[in-house]
Amino acid sequence: MSIYLPIAELSINIILLLSIGGVVGFLSGMFGLGGGFLMTPILIFIGIPTNVAVATSANQIVASSISGTIGYWRQGLVDFKMGGVLLIGSFFGSILGVWIFSRLVVLGQIDTVISILYFALLTSIGIIMLIESSQVIRDRVRRKTVKRKIHYHNWAHKLPFKMKFYKSKLYISAIPPIIIGFVIGILSATMGIGGTFILIPAMIYFLGMPTSKVIGTSLFQIIFVTALVTLLHATTTFAVDAVLAFFLIIASVVGAQLGVLAANKLRGEEIRALLAIIVLGVAVKIALDLLVEPNEIFNISVIRALF
Amino acid sequence: MNFKIFLLIKLFVLFLISSASALVIGSDEEEIYIDANFSGKNLLVFGAFYSDPSQARDDKSDILIEVVGPSEDVVIRKKESFFGFWLNSKSVRFNDVPGFYYLSSTNKITNEFLNENKIGLLNKKDTQLIDWSALNIDWGNIKNQKEKDTFYDALIRTKESEDVYRKVSGEIQIIDGNLFRSYIEIPNTVPVGQYKVNLYLIIDNKISNEYSYNFMVTRVGIEEAIYSFSKNYPLIYGLISLLIAILIGVSGAEVFKRFRKV
Repeated sequence: MSIYLPIAELSINIILLLSIGGVVGFLSGMFGLGGGFLMTPILIFIGIPTNVAVATSANQIVASSISGTIGYWRQGLVDFKMGGVLLIGSFFGSILGVWIFSRLVVLGQIDTVISILYFALLTSIGIIMLIESSQVIRDRVRRKTVKRKIHYHNWAHKLPFKMKFYKSKLYISAIPPIIIGFVIGILSATMGIGGTFILIPAMIYFLGMPTSKVIGTSLFQIIFVTALVTLLHATTTFAVDAVLAFFLIIASVVGAQLGVLAANKLRGEEIRALLAIIVLGVAVKIALDLLVEPNEIFNISVIRALF
Repeated sequence: MNFKIFLLIKLFVLFLISSASALVIGSDEEEIYIDANFSGKNLLVFGAFYSDPSQARDDKSDILIEVVGPSEDVVIRKKESFFGFWLNSKSVRFNDVPGFYYLSSTNKITNEFLNENKIGLLNKKDTQLIDWSALNIDWGNIKNQKEKDTFYDALIRTKESEDVYRKVSGEIQIIDGNLFRSYIEIPNTVPVGQYKVNLYLIIDNKISNEYSYNFMVTRVGIEEAIYSFSKNYPLIYGLISLLIAILIGVSGAEVFKRFRKV
């Protein structure tokens, strides 16, 4: 049972699409990750053109982050003010990101740049997850509990334009969150990711936000970043595939909810270590594609008349 | 009875006009629709020689069928190794390249013949007499003729691997000595637009008669509607895509709320 994707311009099996959406959604629900960093490379592997994969992933993340934000908002774990300040940066970041993206499409380097970015990203995520999960497993074996500081004081507290963030119990400059938002906006537009795995540690370590509020707040701001990225891609690169997005969203929303259920029942560290190995495997595959001499060193692209 | 006489007169008139031969041609489709389930199509092209209805086909006469698809602009990029990484480097832009090209003949037609009569795009790679004038090419900073040839070869090769360029012989069936038919494979990767079928009757290595007609390849269905909507109203299209995502995201959270004990 195949379906023709009108923007990607190819037929693809519906079951395959639903499985990809479901598995990525399950993993994102389970680990509290956005899942975009897995979605985009998988879509590229199954033959979706890079630009369509990136733009459509952004659209899919809108749905999954809304779903997640609602859950955290009900528990009062979203700092809307902090989310808003982050968004100021993200707004300009994603505009710059989409501009960079469309320039790279014109120059014919988009595939290479996306591959290199993903290689760097997946390698670092894989290694961090592997280290972190093995530490948790080791600590569990030694029956140790890790103590954490509530609050970090650093340079973020010394800059001008200080603002009060009551929900996060912070009084810091608005500049660091705007810069963080800006970087996330660029990454989101060029890679089709929400950027939770960068945003969360940045909010904890650079801004000193309480860990409990971080996930909900990052998801909240990701809704708007990916929504903006979706609109920018739809109007400038014409690469958002609504049919592809529809099937991925349906499956990933269901998968994410099941992932949350599973996370409550299962012990995550072993699965997290496994996921880390899968992520590293994907990174190696991307690296090989860049490093091994291709069979056909010429490639063709048709210049579409935009009417 | 009247009809038969009319047909005989018509054939006779045709015989007189063309002095040696005439051609008629038909096809089973004037328009090919590509929808979600389109997996390619065999287009039937048929016709008759009218060299002399009472006689069998002259062994020296041949049929050449050429199908030319709508033109498109393509960029060919060459990957080169930079510090171990294979990156796109030089590129050449070919303008007005046919998106589909098919050449079929009863016998093997020589390249000299094709060059002489300015037929064919595919044959040019086999000869030294490359007629670049047919294409409008932006070579960028490439000056070397040998390097240009590699790009030209790559264009043909990639198009052949996508099954949109083909050159065959011996696939035209001759029935009864005077009728012919051929199935032309139209794969599902073909571009949409107007296609031109050119039919040549060749006698003694000379084009004795030619005939052309057009057919359309059109995209239809919901997929086409989405495609053109996304191009014509990109902002509304983007907003609708977002709305779908928001609705599913919110309802997903609602539906599963009761299963979660958060």
